Amino acid sequence: MATKLKVRLVTPERILVDTEADAVEIPGKTGYLEALYGHAPLLTEIGAGMVRLHGAESGEESYMIARGFAEVLPERVTILAEEAEKPEEIDVMKAQEQLQHGEALWNKAGDDPAKYTEANEVMAEANAKIEGAGKK
Amino acid sequence: MANVLDLRRRIRSVRNTRQITKAMKMVSAAKLRRAQERAVSARPYAAMLASVLESLKRRAEIYDPETGECRSPLLLTRPEQRILLVVVSGDKGFAGAFNTNIIKAATNFIQENDRKEIDVEAIGRKGRDFFRRRFGAAQFGQDGTRGARGGAIEVTGEHTGVLEKLSYERVREVAMKIVHRYEHEEIDAAYLVYNEFKSVIQQRVVVERVLPILQLGARQITEAHELTTEERERAAEAALSAGVSLFPKEAEAAEKQLENEAKNFGTAEVDYIYEQPAAEIFADVLPRYITSQLYHATLESVAAEHAARMTAMDSATNNASDMIDSLTLTMNRVRQAAITKEIIEIVSGAAAI
Repeated sequence: MATKLKVRLVTPERILVDTEADAVEIPGKTGYLEALYGHAPLLTEIGAGMVRLHGAESGEESYMIARGFAEVLPERVTILAEEAEKPEEIDVMKAQEQLQHGEALWNKAGDDPAKYTEANEVMAEANAKIEGAGKK
Repeated sequence: MANVLDLRRRIRSVRNTRQITKAMKMVSAAKLRRAQERAVSARPYAAMLASVLESLKRRAEIYDPETGECRSPLLLTRPEQRILLVVVSGDKGFAGAFNTNIIKAATNFIQENDRKEIDVEAIGRKGRDFFRRRFGAAQFGQDGTRGARGGAIEVTGEHTGVLEKLSYERVREVAMKIVHRYEHEEIDAAYLVYNEFKSVIQQRVVVERVLPILQLGARQITEAHELTTEERERAAEAALSAGVSLFPKEAEAAEKQLENEAKNFGTAEVDYIYEQPAAEIFADVLPRYITSQLYHATLESVAAEHAARMTAMDSATNNASDMIDSLTLTMNRVRQAAITKEIIEIVSGAAAI
């Protein structure tokens, strides 16, 4: 096996993950992408979704993240996310509330495209949370 | 002269007060330590964000090459007519001159800009109370549209309880509102007034401009008030007696290394593949930069508030001790005088027989 990737997940509050893994799945804004050791340098925005670390020290690890961006370098992946949670920490009730809030925003948006985008983002985040909850 | 019983009662009362102030001091010291840790652990994110912006700026073509127009509304400057002033104060008192200093700096700022319309956004109960009493709150209609201005200065928003349990989410809401208002040209500039906190002895009240962004990474401090030497000595003394280190752990090598790495984030001398156009990423990251600045300000302000409270409570404890000493002295004197008087009475009584 080739050398391992250094993976770091940073939130505004702290460094949540600092570990090594064989591969990282990143929820890019335009779709999931997977980075292995030696990946070409890449910078992407992040959509709401799950980050999965394959072959990390403690086996598989996954985190729900939203709003941020990721930098991929051949030997290192750094993810900056405003929100990051472990699947078992997700509060489904809260996510449901957020989804409803998003729907309310959508209904109220009228003809302002910026508001639709915002509502969509809120809903996508809530959906990602609900989906990711409890999954390993 | 007061009698012994009264004095004893007073001493007991002062002793109780000392107990309370001492406890408050220790609580503040513990909270300060936690706030400092939080500030340190928030640093990598802020540093990474700043550096990625820095590197993006070079590729993002902020200015349209054909028309020369600026693409990001947050970088546009307009003549300052309407200013948003974010005042970060504390939620509670008992912190010496902490809140007064911030309010003073904010009031100074308002006086200097008396020709302009100023909206005050208050974070923290103390600042809100003051500005609401002084200038009045803005009136909003049911649908959120703003009513006519009552005066040149109005409080447009208040955020109490944010500081108590500081979360990025809450700060983000405030910051997004500011960004939104700037983008829609409701305001021409946004300033922050808060207490900067490097360590217990290195802090100052600053007025900092956050919008428009003139130069990335560079902080635009327009005014700063340092601590006086005397205040600094008092603070150092208080920190020492409460067991708080004067120099937070940032000096540690590991922390340094991390910070250096953070600075290199997104700046590697390679051509990145951009999943989205660089300009698009840049536009998305800019508001986050504002949020991160505001979050940073609130973090430091919280730490500074605890430090100020710790110092104030340390002074109060010392004063109480002094008072107990002097009261005890008076009490002993009064007691002795009474005893002497009694002996004289007995002796002269015996002599008379």
